Amino acid sequence: MITFDRVVKRYGDQLAVDHLSLEIKSGEVVMLVGPSGCGKTTSLKMINRLIEPTDGTISIDDRDTRTYDVNDLRRSIGYVIQQVGLFPHQSVAENIATVPRLLGWPKQRIQARVEELLDLIGLPAPSYARRLPAELSGGERQRVGVARALGADPNILLMDEPFGAIDPIARERLQNELLRLQRVVRKTIVFVTHDIDEAVKLGDRVALLSKGGVLEQFATPEELLAHPQSEFVTGFLGEGPLVRRLALIPIAEVQLPAMNGAAPAASVGFEGTLRDALDAVLRSPDGRARVVKGDQTVGIVDADVIRAASMRSR
Amino acid sequence: MSVFQYISENWDQIGPQVVTHLEIVGECVAITSAIGLALGIAAARSEALSTVIMAVASTILTVPSFALFGLLSIWFGLANPPVIIGLVLYGLLPVARNTRAGIKTVDPAVVESARGMGMSPLQVLLKVELPLAVPVVLGGIRQATVMIVAVATVGATVGVDDLGQTILSAIGRSTGTLDAVLAGIIPVAVIGILADAILAGIQRALSRGRVSVAAT
Repeated sequence: MITFDRVVKRYGDQLAVDHLSLEIKSGEVVMLVGPSGCGKTTSLKMINRLIEPTDGTISIDDRDTRTYDVNDLRRSIGYVIQQVGLFPHQSVAENIATVPRLLGWPKQRIQARVEELLDLIGLPAPSYARRLPAELSGGERQRVGVARALGADPNILLMDEPFGAIDPIARERLQNELLRLQRVVRKTIVFVTHDIDEAVKLGDRVALLSKGGVLEQFATPEELLAHPQSEFVTGFLGEGPLVRRLALIPIAEVQLPAMNGAAPAASVGFEGTLRDALDAVLRSPDGRARVVKGDQTVGIVDADVIRAASMRSR
Repeated sequence: MSVFQYISENWDQIGPQVVTHLEIVGECVAITSAIGLALGIAAARSEALSTVIMAVASTILTVPSFALFGLLSIWFGLANPPVIIGLVLYGLLPVARNTRAGIKTVDPAVVESARGMGMSPLQVLLKVELPLAVPVVLGGIRQATVMIVAVATVGATVGVDDLGQTILSAIGRSTGTLDAVLAGIIPVAVIGILADAILAGIQRALSRGRVSVAAT
């Protein structure tokens, strides 16, 4: 658990973070999102004390972070940045071994851990362990960055716009991988992004900050999209928050009418979301789509079904 | 090929001079590299220090070598000591300047991630910044070495018995000056080229994955 208690960061007269109070529960993914200058990165870096707060307290499991030795604190927290910052003169394996080596783990344990992590991020050790960062693609580099942050199995992972510099297709894949990874590792993740779609997709909760480090709303993605608390939030969510929200509702959770009459031409997978369903409905000549599970049709979906489901979960 | 004939006829004199020359160059390069590295690190950390260090080191280079050796011989006596000190002073600028440049070119994101993972400032320097700066630092050491090999000949003016002595003693002779001067210059050139080639090899070998490989 990470607690921000009235945290202030001031640069001269400039207020970067204004009395931020937040409680991030163990094992949840909290997205810090907002426009540039909203203090999201500053807030993140105050957790591992790359930036020291001007006032207020940040505690981890009820212990003030200032009472830790700063290097011990950082070694116990994973840190991933947008530019990745892999050591270019070290192999992938050496990079991942950084924190375990700082902690003085025995060689064999380090090697086993490196192999485990390479396996976890889907880069097989035999072909990747000895490569240099320059020999990797952008996406692979970012995955190695995540593996390096997980090196000594920290409870907390700080991620500063980790996928910001990656092309949209690879970014989506990395996002999905992070979700998959999180199901396995269950870390407390604090993730900075300026992309509201990314925030809504990855976050268990989203903290929306406005300029000068003011917390506008701290809520689940569903809550945020359905009930924006201020004009600023509405503005930041932008066009079509309800359409966006459909992406959060799995088709599996929706009551589907059974198919009667002619089978609609379009179809959508049962594992998809209502947004996929809407897409199929719009594609279909008769405004209806089959929901298929394997080779079975489990029901149909049309505009009314989607509307009803979206109303119900609001 | 009267030069080589000259060299072989006078080998009992030139041979020991080659050895002395190599000794002086070796000592000076080692000392100037160590001091220059320390100064370069200091200069990379503080702009104010950098200004002072670079200004002093460049000013030293503007002093003519025989004047510098002569000046230093007032306090350190004749022969090797004033020359070694003078040559060390000359080598500081290229080594310090390149060390600073090498550290400064390390990607700030790499340094930030190193700090963020809990490396102490000393660990960041030793494990990240200096290893990445190595090719550039070695470029500076190469420059210093070539300069020291050549300027060491001027040490003959304060009594060092290195290859400069062969050149110096030939000057003003009525005959055979060309052969005698070349007999000093050619071994100096060979030492300079070999030393540069060896350091270039080391530089390449240590450049694995480094951001910038300076061709300087």
